Amino acid sequence: MALLQISEPGQTAAPHERKHALGIDLGTTNSLVATVRSGTAEALPDNEGRVLLPSAVYYGPEQPLVGHSALVQASEYPTDTLQSFKRLMGRGAGDVDAMGYTLLESEEGMARIQTSAGDISPVQASADVLAELARRGRDTVGSEIDGVVITVPAYFDEAQRQATKDAATLAGLRVIRLLNEPTAAAVAYGLDSGREGLIAVYDLGGGTFDISILRLNLGVFEVVATGGDTALGGDDFDQALAHWALQQAGLNAGDPAQLRAALMAARAAKEQLSAQDSAELIIGGQSLAITREQFEALIQSLVKRSLRACRRALRDAGCEPTDVQEVVMVGGSTRVPLVRSAVAELFGRDPLTSIDPDTVVAVGAALQADLLVGNKPDQELLLLDVIPLSLGLETVGGLVEKVIERNTTIPVGKAQEFTTYKDGQTAMAIHVVQGERELVSDCRSLARFELRGIPPMVAGAARILVTFQVDADGLLSVTAEEQSTGVQASISVKPSYGLSDDQIADMLQASWRHAEGDMLARQLAEERVAAEQLVLSLHAAIEQDASLLEAEEREQLEVAMLELVGLCENSEEPAKIKQACEALGRQSEAFAARRMDAAIGKALAGVKLDELESMTEDKH
Amino acid sequence: MDFQQSYYELFELPQQFELDTAQLAERYRALQRSTHPDRFAEASAAEQRLAVQYSAFVNQAFNILKDPLERALYLLSLAGWDQERVSSQKLAGDFLMEQMELREKVESLRDLVDPEEVIEHLLAEVADDIRIHTVELRQAMDTSEWDAAATAVVKMQYLVKLRAEIEALETELLDG
Repeated sequence: MALLQISEPGQTAAPHERKHALGIDLGTTNSLVATVRSGTAEALPDNEGRVLLPSAVYYGPEQPLVGHSALVQASEYPTDTLQSFKRLMGRGAGDVDAMGYTLLESEEGMARIQTSAGDISPVQASADVLAELARRGRDTVGSEIDGVVITVPAYFDEAQRQATKDAATLAGLRVIRLLNEPTAAAVAYGLDSGREGLIAVYDLGGGTFDISILRLNLGVFEVVATGGDTALGGDDFDQALAHWALQQAGLNAGDPAQLRAALMAARAAKEQLSAQDSAELIIGGQSLAITREQFEALIQSLVKRSLRACRRALRDAGCEPTDVQEVVMVGGSTRVPLVRSAVAELFGRDPLTSIDPDTVVAVGAALQADLLVGNKPDQELLLLDVIPLSLGLETVGGLVEKVIERNTTIPVGKAQEFTTYKDGQTAMAIHVVQGERELVSDCRSLARFELRGIPPMVAGAARILVTFQVDADGLLSVTAEEQSTGVQASISVKPSYGLSDDQIADMLQASWRHAEGDMLARQLAEERVAAEQLVLSLHAAIEQDASLLEAEEREQLEVAMLELVGLCENSEEPAKIKQACEALGRQSEAFAARRMDAAIGKALAGVKLDELESMTEDKH
Repeated sequence: MDFQQSYYELFELPQQFELDTAQLAERYRALQRSTHPDRFAEASAAEQRLAVQYSAFVNQAFNILKDPLERALYLLSLAGWDQERVSSQKLAGDFLMEQMELREKVESLRDLVDPEEVIEHLLAEVADDIRIHTVELRQAMDTSEWDAAATAVVKMQYLVKLRAEIEALETELLDG
């Protein structure tokens, strides 16, 4: 039943200001979408009331089928029904378990899956799932979507994050932020309870395990350490149980159709065993009984593996299990009683399970999305994230010199000096790698580029400053500069496993082939919106901080703003509007810097006042 | 923002080794609340660039100040002791002997059937050593005895490196 909703005056933004943002949990087994409506975040159901969309796509002779309708095809067309493809994101065919599919490698070394409808990249399959969820979001809010926050496992590396962003672009979505899944879960709980202190987020999904240690204080979440395993999840419980069942029934695990059927039966039995002490599996016409105890013996080593990762993350955070004040459970697999009791034992407390572990991540993402598009200007919540893996450079002998250590809070910029190896060396190969091991061959290669034009000097005399800059999404750019001449080379890391901008453009163009004229119109509309936003935000800034501007500066800015507004009305060229926006941005940079400095001064003054007050209180 | 200012100036804290970590964390959060790029998600590209730079500088300063070893190295560098000069400190023979014994224990981990407990034990031992040398470092820093401080720093660097190696080995042996 639909009720008319009436809000208190002043509590909601004016209708034209309210923006529509979605939080999307793009999972290995299931995906879902949530949004904030009337101040509450909730997962959005499909027409039949189901919130979980199976992360499955069937590529048949017709349009791809996504979700439940894809799963229906799975037993008849197992190799054309793609599942668990999140495990292939940003990976080469040789890096991963083929999971019963035929994997091919693209020219860029990226895994693709062979289907009767052609070779499909995991990015494409993810884009199809995202598009389906976005459609659900659009239908629910009844308008276009301004932006999305997509969650990724905390352990995702550069290539995997980039692949996720590529999928969103392919689905025509604007990504405001990639958010670590456990962080999103803590947002969902933190906002509700407003607690302070250390929080552990134990996230055992279908395909990945993450442990995050977060510190929550005065509305600020800080990820102090992350750890986990990208190849551990409830799917492995199913596998263990299915293989046991096939063995008991004397059947062949090598037959894909039989394995699939066994996996389905195993999943159902696993779910039953969360509520009861025994269950029955029907497999190949035979009925097998299994007790919870037997099941727990099968999965014990998997659960233990997750606990070791927990202890490592705790050590990285410099704390003991007992320092943790709350443990948040995320992911459907945390319904398994053995998982709950093992976690409770490690931390010495019962974990939090009050929010549905399947939807908690999407709910947190929706809250953060709502915040980031500016629907809650007074909200104090701020997420501080860390990079999950160390970033470094190859040095002489194939060794890795780490420039940014894992678990460093982002954004971060760090510079390190390197020098030449041979006399008269005029060029230097910069090889950027990611990982914890000492040898380059054990780490993941992210990018290579060359710095040329180094003046000839004796070995060790040149000073090459290499700067790493990681933005708030965890994406990296690297610059190398020779100090005496200032010659420079730089690269934005587009991992060799991701899609290039050109490839994305090609794929997008292919999907718009029927409407080429639309593309220009769309670009023009996008640039106009961007210009409008820039003018609005600058206008608000001038109103707020007029005292930080000289009269002349203010006049120049206002003239430029008027010109930009005029250009938007009269020009049909997106490139021109974009240029004018960039020029206005540069012109206002000094003002923006002064505003930020003023804000910093105010922030510190506020804290110092609080410190003084608490000192005075202590004396009383 | 002046990117040349010292990290202590940025946080408006006295330039000394002893430091109230709760106060440091509080000020860090206040600084991040006004500089983090998420605050500027809908702002102009120029403002977003500035936010990334500011926020990164705040993070860098916090990372150095919050870690006793990094903080000590930073104070030594402000006192004219660069990394090279610190690393060339001579260490006493008994400390080096102890290190060799610890390393032998680490090497023998590969031969154990169930190394998990031994690894936990070794890590605890190294953590204890680090605590002892932190006290040593604090005393030297408080009295500005840079020579003794540099020696303590080098010892701690040895131990921290050893700890990282044990942890890497743990990953390899137990999750390989």
